[in-house]
Amino acid sequence: MTSSSLTLPARRAPSLFRHAIVERYVPVATMVLALIAIWYVAAVAMNWTLVHDAFEREETPYTISDVLAGTMDAERPLLPAPHQVINAFVDGVFGYPPLAPRSLIYHSLVTLSATVLGFLLGALFGISLALLIVHSRVLERSLLPWIICSQMVPVLALAPIFIVVLGAIGLQGLLPKSIISAYLCFFPIAIGMVKGFTSPDPLQIELMRTWSATPRQVLWKLRWPSAVPYLFASLKVAITISLVGAIVAELPTGGEAGIGARLLSGSYYGQTIQLWAALVAAAVLASALIAIVGLVERGVNSRMGAH
Amino acid sequence: MSTEPASKRLVVEANAISLRFETADGPVDALSDVSLQVAEGEFVSFIGPSGCGKTTMLRVIADLQQPTSGSLSVNGMTAENARLARSYGYVFQAPALFPWRTIEKNLKLPLEIMGFSDSEQRKFPWQLSGGMQQRVSIARALSFDPAMLLMDEPFGALDEIVRDHLNEQLLQLWKSTEKTVLFVTHSIPEAVFLSTKIVVMSPRPGRIIDVIDCNFPADRSLEIRETPEFLKIAQRVRNGLRAGHSYDE
Repeated sequence: MTSSSLTLPARRAPSLFRHAIVERYVPVATMVLALIAIWYVAAVAMNWTLVHDAFEREETPYTISDVLAGTMDAERPLLPAPHQVINAFVDGVFGYPPLAPRSLIYHSLVTLSATVLGFLLGALFGISLALLIVHSRVLERSLLPWIICSQMVPVLALAPIFIVVLGAIGLQGLLPKSIISAYLCFFPIAIGMVKGFTSPDPLQIELMRTWSATPRQVLWKLRWPSAVPYLFASLKVAITISLVGAIVAELPTGGEAGIGARLLSGSYYGQTIQLWAALVAAAVLASALIAIVGLVERGVNSRMGAH
Repeated sequence: MSTEPASKRLVVEANAISLRFETADGPVDALSDVSLQVAEGEFVSFIGPSGCGKTTMLRVIADLQQPTSGSLSVNGMTAENARLARSYGYVFQAPALFPWRTIEKNLKLPLEIMGFSDSEQRKFPWQLSGGMQQRVSIARALSFDPAMLLMDEPFGALDEIVRDHLNEQLLQLWKSTEKTVLFVTHSIPEAVFLSTKIVVMSPRPGRIIDVIDCNFPADRSLEIRETPEFLKIAQRVRNGLRAGHSYDE
């Protein structure tokens, strides 16, 4: 280390790099490319034995490059190469009519409907719980431990019980999945909204008191608007959790439809490419849902004078 | 100097008010045997060091805190009924505006609470300076035309120039609306300039040391702060504060 290395190096970067868009996307693109490169290397390493053994069995002469090429387009690889996953994903999305049983759009829609319904139920339930807790000390003491306990039970264990019990009373399809999804996603909303409803400044609460405002007015004109930032923070967490809940709920149903069903059948039959394509579909869905919540948040914030 | 017109109605009548807080370090007497009478249309300042109970006194009158003993009548009824009847507007030390409401909607808030469905600027509080924010806060307190205005160091966070300016405007406001104003302050010139009556308080236990009448002409300007009469009253306030200050560690 020389002393000169302590001074900032002169900026020799070309003006292109100072461009805002470039500065924003170059790091992201670099990261993605690095991950893809690592993925390719891993795909070669993990599929090598598989492909190598297959060549051995055929007893035909082969070269190293043959094996290398084989690791890139094996039918049932241990780890499919990125382009295989992307091909399967694109094929799943565009290769079939949207409502065909092999279309990823169809399966995504099935999962999406359970997710959205579960999310709405969970949000409603979570906010109601928060309201009860904020307005009553007794309820806070009696409800909170149960709320926390509810999240300690692994949902993977609970989901089959729910499905079976609800199936026994004639509830099938969308609703049981949504209930599992809601069961998972109400938690961050309830916790976040308790925090949000209690976030107003004591001064603001006293101000309402000097105007002898009713509890309902304090709720709608002070507590609710104060809780909005907390609401969106919890909704963003909750929407992804409710997607996970919907997917998990599809596993024990035997896998008729939905992303969970695709994952299950993919792993049953060793269709790793199908498995990964379904994972990509789930990731795309989650990103889209978070983006939608984010957009709504921006709209609400600008109406509420955020700066 | 003071010729208190006996005909004027008493707006605040406090008799031997005491308030004791139970804290972890033992009881604290925030107010001890405080008696005070405020007639309609008066401008009363409360001055004293931190912890002397001047804010507590205002909060007791506003029914934001309940005294442990003593009797209190506000606007001819109990403090609680006066609050429920919306007899006063309260201005806190901080503007306490609701950041998600425009200025217009902040002003309308008490009216909304009170069920007026209908009542310039579509700005949000962060777009205003501190002085402007406190002005909005005062306007909000006045927007439903309460009989009394309770102000807890409303200009404490503002710089000297803005503070002088708002003092003049508050005087104007008081003159034109003839409302009773109860005003907590740390500043001697502010108290002497604005008030018809200055209540000097001292801490531990919170009590009233001196009540000074001070009747300057209604159309006074900031220049009177240089006159001998003004300085004399300021001197008396200062002496009261010094006498009441128990320099305990």
